[in-house]
Parts: sequence; structure tokens; C-alpha cells
Amino acid sequence: MSTLTEKPVAEQTGTPAPVPRKRRFGFEAKMLAPGILLLAALSIVPFLTMIVMSLSQVRLLGGLELDFAGATNWIRLFTDPDLAWNWVRTGVFFALTLGLEMLLGLTFALCMWRLLRGRNLVLSLFLLPMFVAPAIVGLLGRFLTDSTFGLYAWVLRGLGYGGDILGGPVSAFVAVVLMDVWEWTPLIALITLAGLSSVPLAVREAAAIDGATGWQSLRHIVLPSISNVLLVALLIRSMDAIRYFDIIWVTTNGGPADATKIVPVRLYETAFRFFDLGYAAAIGLVMLAVSIALARGFVRLLDKKGTTR
Amino acid sequence: MSARAPGATLVSPIERGSRRSRIGIWIVIGLGLVWTLVPLLWMLLSSFKNTTDVTSATPQLLFTPTLDNYVGLFTGANNLTPYIVHSVLAAGISAILSVVIGAPAGYGLARTRMRGKHHLSFWIISTRMAPIAAIVLPLFLMFRGLGLIDTLAGLILAYMTFNLPFAIWLMSAFFAELPLALEESARVEGCTRWQAFWHVVLPLTKSGLVTTFVLCLVFAWNDYAFALVFSGPNSQTLPIAANQLVTQAGIDWGQLTAIGTFVVVPMMLAGLAVRRWLVTGLTLGAVTGE
Repeated sequence: MSTLTEKPVAEQTGTPAPVPRKRRFGFEAKMLAPGILLLAALSIVPFLTMIVMSLSQVRLLGGLELDFAGATNWIRLFTDPDLAWNWVRTGVFFALTLGLEMLLGLTFALCMWRLLRGRNLVLSLFLLPMFVAPAIVGLLGRFLTDSTFGLYAWVLRGLGYGGDILGGPVSAFVAVVLMDVWEWTPLIALITLAGLSSVPLAVREAAAIDGATGWQSLRHIVLPSISNVLLVALLIRSMDAIRYFDIIWVTTNGGPADATKIVPVRLYETAFRFFDLGYAAAIGLVMLAVSIALARGFVRLLDKKGTTR
Repeated sequence: MSARAPGATLVSPIERGSRRSRIGIWIVIGLGLVWTLVPLLWMLLSSFKNTTDVTSATPQLLFTPTLDNYVGLFTGANNLTPYIVHSVLAAGISAILSVVIGAPAGYGLARTRMRGKHHLSFWIISTRMAPIAAIVLPLFLMFRGLGLIDTLAGLILAYMTFNLPFAIWLMSAFFAELPLALEESARVEGCTRWQAFWHVVLPLTKSGLVTTFVLCLVFAWNDYAFALVFSGPNSQTLPIAANQLVTQAGIDWGQLTAIGTFVVVPMMLAGLAVRRWLVTGLTLGAVTGE
């Protein structure tokens, strides 16, 4: 961050400013400063705190106390089989939710794209789950899958499945995946639909005249031209999916038998149920590294499109 | 940003498709809408049912509607009013602050040519993408030290960790779309750069400001993880209130669906109001819709 405050902002090339500026801080830097300073306070300080925490034994009882513990937490991190399983589950969860969301989102987007009438209404209705608080999604999920009066449990009983949905390891995992899919498929559909609207009609018409079938046109013209948009959608969702927490915390709390305990849930539990803050900090730093790698992918994609500012 | 709504595309013969494919499309859309809307409609319906109808083993579609659940939220032991006040204040103030601080910063980011700009913008986006569970942890220690636990100020500050970077990045996407020439001509007319920003640039990004505000509002309003850790009796928000119904002896699903409706409907209305700019907003400007 030191570059921001120490180096004068370069004069814009090509368009000489009417009055040559001699001030040390450019206007842009002044505009940036308050936001950047606040953000730094809210992110760099916690980040450093977390590093210190991960190297300490943190005590909360009777005032805050940090005892230097060296690499204890880190050694534990790499030798903790439970944590490895949490990561495996996170991976499966990640792949399942994103896969389903991309598939369903693309399907609905393609269908909505072909609608000539009522598209705006359908889209609006379709977007509604995105605005539901995840905690409410979780509670609603519990309500709908309750084994005595849940609507979905009742439907499944009619289809021959009578178990307690959130009580079985596999069914609970599937249920939390589907709750996330329910909430976020609309986002993928929305982004994809925007991408589809930008496919030039002329190109598709030319393909139709050349005798391309609908499927060929989709496979060779439409999908390639929205591949960038699909990738953006995928990255945006993956950055959220790695942080996913609320729904699971509200529905299964990581259970039954750890079946839905993905890394964020494990981290939360380690920190605020067992108050093992040092170890939780180490887990958090690893999560941070993973999410920064994803953010890198996102920014690189923007760079390629030449839209980074 | 592109203003063309997704629905406004030109119609050509190849868009029409055959009758059979059109029926197929409507079937898929119908299934999609059922999947999307049934939980929401069920929540809405249940919030108007009495306890026996809510917990009936066979789903009740025909029932005598009652407002008991909503009334109960305000007359019962756990009055909802303070939660509403906390939610409105925490989410509202954090969204306002995000826009007020984020818009100038976004402008600075969009226009600056300084070295290391890439690193700066990457750092901003990475703070937005940081896992909530990981951020909560050090903030918890910091807030404890500063006495910010169970205060609205603490909650607002916590929400800024995700709303501020979002606002900076999103506003810079909106500003980057504006041609530089507009500001330059204002400056030729004698405006200072601040005046050009205030009188020329900002009014042109009204839609961006509103979209940023609404999305920040939705994120903060819907938050559960931060509120769970940082809030107490003096600052608990609506999602916490909803979940508290669960931990009490038995679950009053009627009241719970009423709270759910209460939490969800305002955000849906706000979200739909900025639908045109949602794509730009939720992809942080990476996809502009055109």
C-alpha cells in the first residue's frame, strides 16, 4: 500500500490537463484514500492478527492472552485427518453445487432466451431465491423436509422415500447441496442470459442459412461465444461457494456424523464452540489462500477481456 | 453500462423455433418455476395458517387464513421490534457508508494511472472474496479489545469488510463506463475536478449508486454469520431472531414462516427494483449484459 501514498499519480498521457498540477497527491489518490485506509484497517490488521493467532495458544478466559506456541497449530493442521475429510467434503460440495448450478442455470437461460413473450416476468420470478437470506433458506429447508409435516418430505413419502432427510448422512448432504442450488441457480441463469443476449443475431442467422441445426448452432456458435461469461459466472459462484456457511449451520450444524461438515463449518465450530482460536486461525489462513487463488483466476479473466480498471 | 434489457432483443424467424420446441421450452420453464417458487409460496401460505394447519401431516391447501403468526411476533415474549430496528440500522447504515466511501474510491480506482494499480485492485477484490468464517475470527478478538461486541457500530464495521470492497469495485465498474471527455469538458468550463465529479460524473451514475446501495443492503440484511458472533441482546438482527425460534423449546413454524416472509419480501422488492443492473452488479462489472 505504500505506493499509494508515496508516489505522485502519473499525469494522464495524451490529454494534457488544463492546469499543470504540482501537488504531491493526485486527485485520484485523494478520492481513494478514505476507502483504502478503512479497508486496510478492516483487512490488513485482521490478517496480521490471524497470523499471530495461528502461532499462538489463545486464551479468552480472564482477559485475552496470547501464548507463543510456535508451529504447533500448523503441525496439527497438516496431521489432522478430520480436517482432511472436511476438505474432501468441501471439494465434493463445491463440485456438486457448482456443477448443478451451471447445468440448470444454462438450461433455464437457454429456455428463457427463446421466450418471446413474458421473458421479463419469468426472469423476475426466477430471480427471487437470490434475495432470500441464507439463514432463512436453511430454516425453510428444515421446514420443508421435516419428517412429520414437511411438504417435500410428504412428496418424497409418496414416491417411496420415508427416511428423515436431514437425519441421514447422504440425504442431509444432498439436501444442503440442493438448498444452495435452489438459491443460486438463478444467478447463473441471469448472467448466462445476459451473455446470450449479446450473441450477434447475424452470426446465428448466417449459420441457419448455411443449414446448421439448432443443436449445431448451439454447440458451435452460441456456447463458444458465451464461454467467457460462463466462466465469470463459475468463478463468481465458486468464490461464494468456498465461503458457504449459513445454510449448513442453520440446518445440520455439520452433522449428522460430520456428513455436512465442510471447512467453513469446521472453522466456525473450532473457534466459537471449542474456542480453539489459534488452530481456527491456521485453518482460516489456508481457506484464505484458497479463496485468493480463486480471486486470482477471476481477475486474470477480467484482464484477458481487457476490462480491468 | 448497457441499458438494453434482456427482453428487448429483436425477433427474427430463427428465434421462433418450431411449435414442438416452443412447448418443450415452456415445460422446462414451468418445471423451473415450480422448483423456484414452491418453497416461497409455501412459506407465505404457512405464515397465514394456524398451528394445527402448519403442522398437519398432510399439506393443507385449504385453510382459514389468520394473522395470528404476525401478531404473535409483536405481542409474544420475544417482541420482534428491536430486531427490526437493529436490522434496518445495521444494514442501512453500512450500505450508506459503503456508497459514500466507496463511490469516490471507485472513481479514484477507475481513473488512476498509478503504478501498482493492478495490485491495488486485486487486493480490494480479494478482501471481498475472503471467507467470512476466517474474517470473523480476528475481528472477534479486535472487537473484544475495542468493546465493540454487541454494539450496532461493531456490526456495521463488520459488514463494511464485505460491503466496502464490493462498493469500491462495483462503482469503479460503473465509472469506467463513462467517457472521460465528459469530465474534461466540464473542466474546460472551469470546474475543479471535485466539481466535475460531483456535478457531472455522479448524476450520470445514479443507477450505479442505487444498485450498489441496494446490493450492499441485501448482503448486510441477509447476513447471519457475523451477527451470530458479534451481536447480543442490544444488536441482534432478524436472521438471528428467526433462528432463535428454533432453539426455544419446540419450533413455532407458523411464526417462523412469518419472520421469514418479513425478512425476505423487502429484499426481493429492492432487488427487483434494480434488476436491470443486477448482472453488472453481481459480476462486479465483468459482464455488462450486452
